[in-house]
Parts: sequence; C-alpha cells; structure tokens
Amino acid sequence: MAMVGRIRTRMWRRHMNTEQDILTMAQWFSPSFPVGAFAYSHGLETAIQSGAIVTASDLQCWLSDVLIHGSGRNDCILLRAAYASTSDTERALIHETALAVAASAERLLETQLQGAAFCDTTAKVWDMDGQHLCYPVAVGAAAAQMQFDVDLVAMLYLHSFAGNLVSAAVRAVPLGQTDGQSVLAALTPLCDQIAGASRLASLDDLNSTAFLSDIAAMKHETLQPRIFRS
Amino acid sequence: MGRTRLRTLRQSGSLKLVFPKRHTQDVEAVLVNTAGGITGGDRFSLDVDIRTGAALTITTQAAERVYRAQPGEVGHVTTRVSVADGASLNWLPQELILFDRCALRRRLEIELAATARLLMVEPVVFGRATMPEILRDVMFQDRIRITRGGRPLYIDGMDLQGDAATHLARPAIADGAGAMASIVVVRPDAERQLKPVRAMLPQTAGATTLADDILVIRQLAPDSFALRRNMIPILELLSNGTLPTSWRL
Repeated sequence: MAMVGRIRTRMWRRHMNTEQDILTMAQWFSPSFPVGAFAYSHGLETAIQSGAIVTASDLQCWLSDVLIHGSGRNDCILLRAAYASTSDTERALIHETALAVAASAERLLETQLQGAAFCDTTAKVWDMDGQHLCYPVAVGAAAAQMQFDVDLVAMLYLHSFAGNLVSAAVRAVPLGQTDGQSVLAALTPLCDQIAGASRLASLDDLNSTAFLSDIAAMKHETLQPRIFRS
Repeated sequence: MGRTRLRTLRQSGSLKLVFPKRHTQDVEAVLVNTAGGITGGDRFSLDVDIRTGAALTITTQAAERVYRAQPGEVGHVTTRVSVADGASLNWLPQELILFDRCALRRRLEIELAATARLLMVEPVVFGRATMPEILRDVMFQDRIRITRGGRPLYIDGMDLQGDAATHLARPAIADGAGAMASIVVVRPDAERQLKPVRAMLPQTAGATTLADDILVIRQLAPDSFALRRNMIPILELLSNGTLPTSWRL
C-alpha cells in the first residue's frame, strides 16, 4: 500500500477572482486601510509650495510622469517580483532592492512604514506571516499568498497611489474636490497601461527619469512649513 | 597604509588607461578613448579590482561623446569595479554627452566590501547646448548598481527612448534642463556632509542621506557648463581637494 507522507490541506485556487477576492483587494487599497497613506505626499508638497503645481492640469501632468516614469512603474515591478518570488531569501533581496532604489530618506520612510503597517494588519486579519517588507513588496507577497490576480492587484495599487497623491494635492494646493476626482479619472487609464506594461519587466528594468519629482522629495526634508511626512 | 601601486593592467582596442604622476598616496587613472567617442555597435568594457587598503581615482581625459548610431546598432559600455575592505574608489568621469540619434546601453556596477569607501559622480549632458543639438530620437539606457557585501545599496537607472527633448521639458522630469548629475558618497562620515552640501546646491538640485553612511545628490542644470560650475566646489569638498586636474575648469 502506498504511504502518504504528508497531506497538504490547503486548497490552491486558480487565479480567478471571486467577488470576495475583489472586495478584499478593494479593502487593502481603500483610504481607510490603516497604512497611513494620507500622511505622505511623495514630494508633491515641495512642488506645490514652489509653484510648480498650481492647477488641476499641472497636477495631472506631474502625477502622470511620477506614475509612468518614476515610482509608479518601479513599484509595479517590485510588486510583481514579490508576487512571483518563491522564498523568503528572494523576498528579502527584493525588499533590499526596493530600499536601494528609493530616491530619498523620506521616500524610504514612506515605503517602509506603509509596508510595515500593511504587514501588521494583514498578519492579524488574514493570518499572514507579518515580516516587515517595503510597501509594494509586502503587497505583492500578500497577493501571492491570497492567490489574487497580480494584474488586478498592480492596477489597484497604482490607482490607490494616484488617489492618495490627488487627495494630498486637493488639501495642499488647494484644489476643488471635483477637480481632484477629474484628475484621478484622467489618470485611471494609465494605471491599467502601466500595470500591463510591467508584466514582462524584471528588477533590472527599475529606472526613473522623474528627476524633479525625486529632487522635490529630497528638498521636502528641509521644507518649512510642511504638513506631510514626505 | 602605504602607496597604492598597479598590480596588473591589460588593455586592448581604443580604451586606454594612463597614470599621471601624483604626489599623493593614491593612484589616479585617466581613461582615454582613442576612438574619440562612442557610436552604435561599439563595445567598451572596464574591469577594475581595488585591493585591500588601496585608493584609486578614475576619471576620463575628456567628455565622452555618444554620436549618432546607424539604425539598429547599439553601443555598449560596461564597467565593473570591486573595492575591497579599507580600499577607496573615486569614480569621477567627465560628462557623457548624448547626441541626437545616439543608441547606447551603459552599465556601471560597483561592488563594495563592508568597509570600502566610494565617491561617485555621473554627469550626463542632453545634447550640446551651443549647436544646439536637440534630442529628437535617441536610445539611452543607463544602469548604476552599487552593492555592499553582495547586497543592493544604491540602484539608479535612466531610460530615454525617442523624443528625449520633449520628455525632458516636462515639469516633473527635468523642466527643460540640459544636463544632470548624480553624486553618491559611501563612507562613515557621509551624513556630516549633508548640511554643507545642501548649502552649495542650486534650486534645481537635492541632497539626501539614504543611511548615515550614504549621501546622494541629484542636480539638474541648464547646460554642462552650469552643471560643472555647480558641481566642482561640491566635489572638491567631498574629495578633500583631490579632484583630478581634468575636472578643473
């Protein structure tokens, strides 16, 4: 008689998102998920104070570059790499890569603290291992554990990143709520495109030409007065 | 710690190294591209090992021009430097000048041991301002990877594809700047340099510390002359006044 050495009780689902999966993703990326996203402006506050962002169209132009040519795309690459990773060692390397590609001290803080908060919450609610990782890496690893569709997760991640920065600008410029929502609606197709385009990217593709966005993040460290942590 | 000496040198093709006499403990190596520039299909590679306790400064004889490439041809420049414990590298090449229709993939890998020190600058000029050279159709892929003890420490990259002039004119990209430089310092006192460096920076530049021992500066300027004028005092400070003569205006 054949012996069964070990029985795996976990049932692996295919990458088909049930309605509940989609709602869980919506929960992760909702502004009420306690990662503290509202506290970070990703350097936007510097650009607003210097007069580089005055109107809704300035904001849209700035954010589309951050998404396509800067952190948005890079975070997508890191998220996908973490999703595809198969060991703790590999995830640790992706986490260190995420730290090494951060453009400034406050960008480091932004990705580390949001990542830690995400890990703490998902550990308690969904029984994940809770090891602290940078935000996109943490999201990618958690999404893999839940067997979520990575394309959808990457797209939602970008959309929440954009939504958070729009909301920061609505408060800091200030802009009207409707203007803010119009900017986010205009950025929505980009989230889909960038998530799709990063499908074949590897960690070696990490790069940024959003130079002034990165410089704005550096200069935020000495900006006075300021309301955001980055 | 004694004088640094050359152990092995092998060179071929149009990439040469010359060693000017210096009255200091460290060695200066000047890279000379006898072909006078880079074009599509060229392959340059440089491999350097700096042994325990040694100190090496590497610079270039002149700014490096990346000329128009033939369709389908891409130039490759690959540099790998390993820096052992107690050793130091000053990686101080002069500007890389991109011409319209250039095609180049460049890669710089610096592997630091736990107690290795580094000062790195990489200036890039987006077309000659005096011509003016407008970058309407380029392919430039740049990768900088610094590791320490085999772990990622600093990762930077730049992809320019197609109409770089229009791209660089955008407010979150370069707001029309014609030149850019990144400076990275890895050494125990890096954090202490942050304040004096910040005081020397123009509006279009920023400085930060990614850790107590990692200082990063990013600077944009209207053209290569303005970039150089702003960077020289900073590099003088960070190199303790040992900036190679090729760097002085």
